[in-house]
Amino acid sequence: MTLAFVGGTHRTVPLALRERLAFSAEQAADALGRFRERFPGREAVLLSTCNRVEFYAAGGQADGPPRPEQLVAFLAECRGLDASLLTPVLAGDRDEAVVRHLFSVAAGLDSMVLGEPQIVAQVKQAWSLAQESRTSGPLTGEMFQAALRTAKRVATETAIGRERLSIPSVAVADFASGVFERFDDKRVLLIGAGKMAAETLRYLRAAGARDVVILNRSASRADELAARLDVRAGRFEDLVAELAAADLVVSTTGATEPIVSPERFAEAELHRGGRPLVVLDLAVPRDFDPRIGARPGVWLYSVDDLAAACDANRRRRQRELPAALAIIDEEARRFMGDLHHRSTAPVIERLRAGWSETGEAELERLFRRLPALDAAARAEIRQAFDRYAAKLLHPPLASLRSESRAGPPHGLLDALKRLFDLKD
Amino acid sequence: MIEFVSGISVVCFAASYAVALVCEASRLLFRSGVRGAVMIAFAGAGLVAHTLFLGWRAAHEQAVPLSSAFDWYLLAAWLLAGGYLWITLANPRTPVGLFMLPVVLGLIGAAQLSSRIPFPQTPATQVWGAIHGSFNLAASVAVASGGLAGLLWLIQAGRLARKRPPLNSFRLPSLERLAQVTDRTLPIAASTAAAGFLSGIVLNAVNRQAGLLETVPWTDPVVLRMGGLVAWLVAAAVAARMGGRRADGPRTAAWLSVASFVLLTGSILWGLAAPTRHGVPPTRPADASSEAAP
Repeated sequence: MTLAFVGGTHRTVPLALRERLAFSAEQAADALGRFRERFPGREAVLLSTCNRVEFYAAGGQADGPPRPEQLVAFLAECRGLDASLLTPVLAGDRDEAVVRHLFSVAAGLDSMVLGEPQIVAQVKQAWSLAQESRTSGPLTGEMFQAALRTAKRVATETAIGRERLSIPSVAVADFASGVFERFDDKRVLLIGAGKMAAETLRYLRAAGARDVVILNRSASRADELAARLDVRAGRFEDLVAELAAADLVVSTTGATEPIVSPERFAEAELHRGGRPLVVLDLAVPRDFDPRIGARPGVWLYSVDDLAAACDANRRRRQRELPAALAIIDEEARRFMGDLHHRSTAPVIERLRAGWSETGEAELERLFRRLPALDAAARAEIRQAFDRYAAKLLHPPLASLRSESRAGPPHGLLDALKRLFDLKD
Repeated sequence: MIEFVSGISVVCFAASYAVALVCEASRLLFRSGVRGAVMIAFAGAGLVAHTLFLGWRAAHEQAVPLSSAFDWYLLAAWLLAGGYLWITLANPRTPVGLFMLPVVLGLIGAAQLSSRIPFPQTPATQVWGAIHGSFNLAASVAVASGGLAGLLWLIQAGRLARKRPPLNSFRLPSLERLAQVTDRTLPIAASTAAAGFLSGIVLNAVNRQAGLLETVPWTDPVVLRMGGLVAWLVAAAVAARMGGRRADGPRTAAWLSVASFVLLTGSILWGLAAPTRHGVPPTRPADASSEAAP
């Protein structure tokens, strides 16, 4: 065993316990420092986010990493918790399962929102902290590098993290941006100030919107909201004029009846000069009469329309899951194959050294018996010996590499040791 | 190098564009990290080969571009291929190639079916011929660009009306950007097509005087189709202009642009199939016919 991990996520650890188990950056650095002293020569990386706490450890063939129960006890000690609280909620794994788990985590497949991209940066930070704390090493280093590479492949070769899932982001990026090329020359009109309006405004501002007006039935409330959202307040009585001037409307009032009827909209339409209008009606009940959506140049979206689009995006993400899992499987196999092959290096080295030693002895004997050979002839003979040895070694080494793909090639290594009398 | 350039054939760049088109189409089927680079490499290689081919003909075949129907079609295809590459480099995730490359390949196909023999020229007809060809070329490229923008507008508007989120592999430009293209291309197409038609009348008169080419009669298919196209384009540009301040103006402009492109395609096909005296050397001494265009 060379790799181990214990950890828990939002699915397994209750929020109250997760809060107590979470590590800040300073606490994580302190924990890694303790680990270095407690388990010298072993490697460790601690990944702590709001949704997960995971501890990855690695060790050489001889001493191996700490056992999962040791890791649980260590985590409990670092956070001043009773280990018995953590044992039932933290999962542990070894070797290839650890690699597959880390690759899935880095690719966002184990996240609360499938494919969310922030986890890549968090994995990178965790690895950097381990490097700074001098607890990372060749094994964890390569495993985390491979995890980041896998995450990049999943992001590039699948669309798992691309589809938007929140109503404000879908409203702006998938619909408003389909109508307008830019937002910095557009008038945005906020009617009411539901929570969704503020969130949608955040996306609109990120897209470049600058000219924003807010209307509210209560003028004082409108002023207060305008100051809080850093927008201009208008008068609710000017709704028709503001509709005529707007390019994009976000409506979130608590009105029980539509505040914009087809007749009222027709008044505004007269002064719009044919400009297109996007209406994001995020209110329930709706603020805009749905018949307005049939007017030419009007793109009206209700909360249900946007929620349906979010659902469609969510289903698309799910459809990408098999492709993402196939990439993780491929990368995990490759990583484990390389890891197993690396474990054969000492035996191969001894085999090469033994053959080289025997070859040198035979060459010396030959050159003593043929003193007439000049330097060029000797070099030719030496090269021929080397080529011969390399060709003889090639089949067993190729077999070792091939066998490594399936797991540690213990059988072949033992056979080589016995056949060629290789001492440890 | 000279041997290499002289060996470039139409098939070389047509095949490159075809591979780029296959790459574009594969966007709809699967994702790939290297497809964009492969697509641009093939389109770029095709454009370079296309440029060298036209340059070689201009320098070695005594055929400056636009002096034969073959060269005219290839130059139109070259302009659109350059436009495709530019748009794709600027917006790698926009699948415009799915729409532009078939037009490029269609123009190359039309070139293959057209005469490669340069029209007989004198200094006077060369100038008027270049003016006539350039205006017609500009009109055709404007109609094709506008038609494609109009088609994309209708597809994008359909998606927005059905309230469906876009596919990541098929993100089209915004309606605002597409409407800007159709707003510009319709008047450009109308004015350049009209100028091309008028310069053609002048060229016909100059040819008749010089006795270089057969006089093209008013009833010739080329005159009829170009006259009809000019009339349509002018009417479409006026209609789009009048509807510009109406809410359904962009939709009208999109439909008019698509219809213009369909008419242009029909006109080209008609030109390829129908007999014409356009650009034909005289078989007998040129005489002024009563039915001849002035």
